[in-house]
Amino acid sequence: MKTKVSSLVNLNTNPCKMCMPMGAVTALYGIKKCMSILHGSQGCSTYIRRHMATHYNEPVDIASSSLTEQGTVYGGEKNLLQGLKNLITLYEPEVIGVATTCLAETIGEDIKRMIEKFYDQNPGYENITIIPINSAGYGGTQFEGYFKALYAIVSQVKMKQEKHNRINVITSGISPADTRYLKRIFQLFELDVILLPDLADNLDGAYKKSYSRLPSGGTSIEDIQQMAGAKYTLFLSNMEPEKSPAGYLYEQYGVPYERIELPVGLRAVDRFYDLLAKISGKPIPEEIKEMRGRYLDGMIDAHKYNGDGRAVIYGEPDFVVSTTRLCVENGVMPVAAATGSVCSQLENLIKEDIDLLAKRYLIERYEIVQDTDFKNIEELAQTCQANLMIGNSDGRRIEEGLNIPLVRRGFPIHDRVGGQRLRMLGYEGSLNFLDEITNAILARKETGFREELYNTYYKEKMEDKMEEVKKDVPKTGAAFTKEEMEEKTKTHPCYNCGAHSHARMHLPVAPRCNIQCNYCVRKFDCPNESRPGVTTKVLTPEEAFEKYKVIKEKVPNLSVVGIAGPGDALANFEETKRTLELIREYDKDVTFCLSTNGLMLPMYAEELVRLGVSHVTVTLNAIDPKIGAKIYKHVNYMGVRFTDESAAAVLLSNQLIGLKLLVERGVICKINIVTLKGINDHHIPAIVEKMKEIGCYITNIMPFIPVEGSVFEHNPVASNKEINKLRIQCGQTMKQMFHCKQCRADAIGTLEDDLSLQFRGCGGKEKTEGTSKALRFAVASKSGMFTDQHFGQVSELYIYEYKEGRPVFLEKRKIDKYCAGSDECGQGEDKISKIIKVIGDCNGVIAMRIGESPKEKLKEKGILVLATYDRIEDAVTMASNKLLS
Amino acid sequence: MSSVREKVLEQYSSRVYKNRKEHVIAIGEHEKDVVTANTRAIPGIITQRGCCFAGCKGVVLGPIKDAAIIVHGPIGCAYYSWGTRRHKAVADEKNGEKADCYLEYCFSTDMQESDIVFGGEKKLKKAIEEVVGLIHPKCIFICSTCPVGLIGDDIHAVAKWAQEEYEIKCIAFSCEGYKGVSQSAGHHIANNQLIRYIIGTGDHQPEKKYSVNVLGEYNIGGDGWEVEKILKRCGIEVVSVFTGSGSYRDIKNAHTASLNLVQCHRSINYVADMMKDKYGMDWIKVNFIGIESCKKSLRDIGEYFGDEELKARIEAVIADEEDAIRDEVEYYESKLKGKTAALYVGGSRSHHYQLLLKDFGISTVLAGYEFAHRDDYEGREVIPDIKPDADSKNIESIEVEADPKFYRVYMTDEQKAALEEKGVKINYYEGMFKGMDEGAIICDDLNHFETEEFMKILKPDIFFSGIKDKFVAQKSGMLSRQLHSYDYSGPYAGFRGAVNFGRDLVMGLYTPAWSYVKAPWKDTPCIEGTLGGDEAC
Repeated sequence: MKTKVSSLVNLNTNPCKMCMPMGAVTALYGIKKCMSILHGSQGCSTYIRRHMATHYNEPVDIASSSLTEQGTVYGGEKNLLQGLKNLITLYEPEVIGVATTCLAETIGEDIKRMIEKFYDQNPGYENITIIPINSAGYGGTQFEGYFKALYAIVSQVKMKQEKHNRINVITSGISPADTRYLKRIFQLFELDVILLPDLADNLDGAYKKSYSRLPSGGTSIEDIQQMAGAKYTLFLSNMEPEKSPAGYLYEQYGVPYERIELPVGLRAVDRFYDLLAKISGKPIPEEIKEMRGRYLDGMIDAHKYNGDGRAVIYGEPDFVVSTTRLCVENGVMPVAAATGSVCSQLENLIKEDIDLLAKRYLIERYEIVQDTDFKNIEELAQTCQANLMIGNSDGRRIEEGLNIPLVRRGFPIHDRVGGQRLRMLGYEGSLNFLDEITNAILARKETGFREELYNTYYKEKMEDKMEEVKKDVPKTGAAFTKEEMEEKTKTHPCYNCGAHSHARMHLPVAPRCNIQCNYCVRKFDCPNESRPGVTTKVLTPEEAFEKYKVIKEKVPNLSVVGIAGPGDALANFEETKRTLELIREYDKDVTFCLSTNGLMLPMYAEELVRLGVSHVTVTLNAIDPKIGAKIYKHVNYMGVRFTDESAAAVLLSNQLIGLKLLVERGVICKINIVTLKGINDHHIPAIVEKMKEIGCYITNIMPFIPVEGSVFEHNPVASNKEINKLRIQCGQTMKQMFHCKQCRADAIGTLEDDLSLQFRGCGGKEKTEGTSKALRFAVASKSGMFTDQHFGQVSELYIYEYKEGRPVFLEKRKIDKYCAGSDECGQGEDKISKIIKVIGDCNGVIAMRIGESPKEKLKEKGILVLATYDRIEDAVTMASNKLLS
Repeated sequence: MSSVREKVLEQYSSRVYKNRKEHVIAIGEHEKDVVTANTRAIPGIITQRGCCFAGCKGVVLGPIKDAAIIVHGPIGCAYYSWGTRRHKAVADEKNGEKADCYLEYCFSTDMQESDIVFGGEKKLKKAIEEVVGLIHPKCIFICSTCPVGLIGDDIHAVAKWAQEEYEIKCIAFSCEGYKGVSQSAGHHIANNQLIRYIIGTGDHQPEKKYSVNVLGEYNIGGDGWEVEKILKRCGIEVVSVFTGSGSYRDIKNAHTASLNLVQCHRSINYVADMMKDKYGMDWIKVNFIGIESCKKSLRDIGEYFGDEELKARIEAVIADEEDAIRDEVEYYESKLKGKTAALYVGGSRSHHYQLLLKDFGISTVLAGYEFAHRDDYEGREVIPDIKPDADSKNIESIEVEADPKFYRVYMTDEQKAALEEKGVKINYYEGMFKGMDEGAIICDDLNHFETEEFMKILKPDIFFSGIKDKFVAQKSGMLSRQLHSYDYSGPYAGFRGAVNFGRDLVMGLYTPAWSYVKAPWKDTPCIEGTLGGDEAC
């Protein structure tokens, strides 16, 4: 578990926070007859008013000193003084909060002095309390701004120190409806409280005959002045802010205080009432006890649904803490808890709770993040497989995009009405909140479960039965005769050098992976990536079957179907199984092969044999967990995430057991070994020995391809010479593969001719006929799927031919390979010239971007240049059309 | 009527009174209707105006879908301008070129205290690098907020650097909030950079004989799509829209169109004027809000091109569109006729919607703009009389020269004179005043206090405004409709849009909810004012 996922450090993408002035004016709205004025550009007031009015559905009047360019040069004093005067004339407030903005703080306005000056100049106004609040937009979020305003209020208002029996209650940001609840409870305990702030009415008023322009509810200035003489302060907040208003009253006036968490969820509400009983000396009223019973009843009614919930909780730190605790109490797993504020306390406050539930539910991964944005929250929702989000309406984009229901709470709620009336405090509020959460989980079930149920339990079982009835039962691996196996192996291009004329097809139906190898970043074929422009090409079993049929017609020598990813075939067993079943029913002679890391082999070996898989490739890079620990970052097995040596050990033992099971049943096993220089290269002969001992058929010692962004990105690469030496050495032990092309998960065709790009997106539609003239293009691509690389940054180029109206992949050309020696490429020659040399035979170059000078150089050579970001085959077609038209 | 005005203004201190009386007038009160506009808002009065950043990033640039806009500054401004305006857009493909849609994104450099102290250029560069890595945009805009101008970050140099480094379009907009007196300054800044760096850089020629750009149409609630659909039905190609569902891809080709149509004069007239100077392209003021004004706009376009076949096609489209809505419009008119309205929006809408209201028999008793200039009230003939003040001088006004490659003369002076005679005014906007009823109140930069006071006296049936000001009306029993966001409704433009508008008003005025405002245990209703529902439930 980590506490910060922040891949983009300089760019906040879709913020999960607002600025300090927002929090400051919200707090001020809880003061009676108070107006606020923001010292800065008028846009700050306008934007904040807009956001508050949309949430609260109430008029929000915030003045501005309307600083202009002149003000930035000469200071804004004149504007502020004039603004204060106008505000008083029109609104006759008793209290004014003056909050600064980025602009005022950047030019260093001393608002305290200006307010003093205002009093001096306007002798009639000394009864009006003017409170300065320094709230630079860059100083923190609305969460900090809120407490800054409260601190300013208690520290700037002239206090009366006479002792009295009232109690101060200071709260962190809660809704008007929750404020009304608190007030009712204090009445019930007959407690005479001074509540700061009191948003109950000003931001959720009743429909009245006339609109009162000055907030008539809220904490009165007289009450605030009495706070210094109170006998006690109750501070309802999940955390102590840097400058605590309750702390100030204690330090300055000796008012003792106790901070307890917001009463949300059973434990916290219990503590709250317990404390109120103690303070008031009164027993807990019957109606509250009954309400507790009712809440408990509701919790138990809902628990059977809540266990399915995997929630992402985001918002202000206080909200996240309360909501997380409520969720945990009810068995809803918070898979991610995130706040946009910088809040180092967050993890300590909720980790223990979440851990408890994660252990009980065998959930391997959850995240607690601070200082984050919605881009990261979205990624967390995907990687942690959330099925629920809880937070403000800014999550609506993720709700829509990922189809994860959002329970709306917190501020702001802009796309629904009634945000000001949402409850979460007390047993009642917690129950309301819980009901909404449970109902979101239920609604998802209600709309989706029939189909899921049918597909998972009924449809496939029925088909199994049908198969049993069928006379011509497809042969399973164990049922293949030795001769048949030999034949199958002979025609399998990945197992037999001579089988190059036989075509194989890999179907990408397996998106997920259950281990993380340090040499792998499944970035471009990872369905968890949903950036614009990057589409995943994973097929459903049905689509894969369609694709198979289409290709089988066009490529009659297709004899092998394989499942090789992009994740792990067995980590996606349902998809793999369904695909193979569909194809087997259509074509009885096809050879099935499958690639896996082997982790799940012991579990599925039997079934693979039953499905008629005759060839299995296992990638096995070490037979010593110590070495394995260097290669594997983690292994997710049976709901537990293993790391280090234990990860490697779990993987290895499963690989070995699985292989034995397969070999016993006559399945031909190939072992892929990635040669990692300095890590396992010396260890490879030992691996091969072991594989021989188990009874594997062939081992394939492969070079390692460095992938950008992977742990091993900068690891040294073994040369072809070194690899071949290893192969020859190990060839004395057992059969070696010398012709591996390291094909992609969706490779189609013979090893010499990768046709897959022709058939991409294939639903079987005929392509339009083109010209017979073949054109050749050099494509700059990182992913092999998109023209996503800058021309100047290529280390290799994909060469495509366009013939008969189709783009066909020809080969990859390494730039450095061609330009390794200085005799071939002169010392002073720049990279562009080298590249041009390599692609001299091409009619065109396609890249995401290309600089002006290479463009010119290419043009001089008569080579067309196309800069585009597109699927490779689309781009090649586009370029060809340009040339042909 | 002038007594109405006095009643409200006399509550001010003498200093404020002196200022505000120039902004508030009654039509026909004096020989000539003159208003003061585009001057500083009074501090402490709760103005509804936004800032320069809002006008630049929020209004003009915000809707450009394929540009990644990085807000350089602390988090607030980026957050508050994120998805708050309902300018709709979808990614699409045109002429074989794709335009992605990044409107759901909000990018900010999220400056912290240390960035304010030590400067934020480095962070901005890194942010650009990250945006490029994330979404590969073809175009990046950098918009600055207040502190940036003060600490002296050179965003233009960064833009230049990014342009070379990534070989993409990157443009900086110094639209710090404190510039100018309202959003209007931001419009101008955005306009300047569009003409400087984007318009004229593309080379795709329109395919149809008659082609236009639609300027000042922001596609709120799908308005722009409705307009574009109608124009296409008439056989007119829309090269680009500024800027609703607009794109860098299209705007770079704007100079290849034959005519500019100006919907919102205030926010985009600079582009129209500069394109006139640079490319010779004429513009005509259109208004696709309102059935009659929509017809007039289409016919004006027909007259401009002067092609009989085109004119006939336009007439056919008008007839067809009108046929489809006639029954509904008649019904809504019967429910709305005789009602009164007050409008306080933007710098164009208060004018445009008066014409749509007229279609339904609703008269306007008060109209005001947030950030318009005098020409938007009085017509462009007043421009020579407007004295530039310190605030407007601070906003760069650029002079463009005729482009040697693309400058074309579209029409001779005689042809123009002939068109004028037919009532088609070229490169001209008549303003809001002409056509308004005598005695109607005009209120520039209406504030919260005045809104409240005027509503008490004028008691209009409907108050059109934005979210901030709407509650004053709504809480006193008056129907409020938001003309910035359309309250999740729309489109209101074109013929079908008029029906949506009529339906929304009837639904709003006649909802049974209004009839319950009086509790049975009370003698008087809990609100004053005329209630819409005359059919009590």
